[in-house]
Amino acid sequence: MTIVTIERRQVADQVVLLVSGRMDADNAPQFEQQCRACIAEGLTGLVVDLGELKYVSSMGLRSFISVAKTLQDKGGALRICRLTGLVKQVFEITGLSGSFPVYESVEAALIGG
Amino acid sequence: MAADTASLHAAMEFVRTGALEASLPEPRIGELDLLIEEIFMNVCRYAYPDGRRGVVTLTYSVPAPGDLRVEVADQGAEFNPLTAAPPDLTLDLESRPIGGLGIFLVKSLAPSIAYRRDRDWNRLTFGMSAGS
Repeated sequence: MTIVTIERRQVADQVVLLVSGRMDADNAPQFEQQCRACIAEGLTGLVVDLGELKYVSSMGLRSFISVAKTLQDKGGALRICRLTGLVKQVFEITGLSGSFPVYESVEAALIGG
Repeated sequence: MAADTASLHAAMEFVRTGALEASLPEPRIGELDLLIEEIFMNVCRYAYPDGRRGVVTLTYSVPAPGDLRVEVADQGAEFNPLTAAPPDLTLDLESRPIGGLGIFLVKSLAPSIAYRRDRDWNRLTFGMSAGS
């Protein structure tokens, strides 16, 4: 019920993080740590694929906003793709769909960068 | 149960039992999880600031098939989270604060949510229907 898995792959100078499962107060920090590890390696183009994410709470949203701010300061960006179900609903309610660059597919997000 | 983040999943599981009894569909159960997490974490963070170990009680009822009522109560200082100012959703990412979205989500997903102070208790109640 509480598991989130994050798969990382690199496409040229961008990183794609496939986030699956549920992102709640317990495990949102895992996602943020993965993002911060990428940033520490100098990778500032992050594409986050949420197509397999079933649940996100405000703690997860905090992580997205916090990482995106850091990337923006470094001239990079956090691009989000494949929002679906409850996760899409949460991003829409909170207006974050309009704050983040959101794409329909990983390919579109990579081109967007 | 203890107002402790370690109890969060037990709280969600308990209310899910009510959701199953009420035969709520899967999308409503996801929303219910979110409501419980946001309200429960809010109690853990703010209800007992002096460090004492506090309690939170969860109660559910199924007044009719497809209809679930939930109450979350704590004995912390009097506090109505529903009066928090709504976040400015029009701000760009740069200007957005990192937090402040939890209670806004709760109010959006459970428009009928109500707060009352009952002697030493803060009581938040909301309903969730199969069709809502």
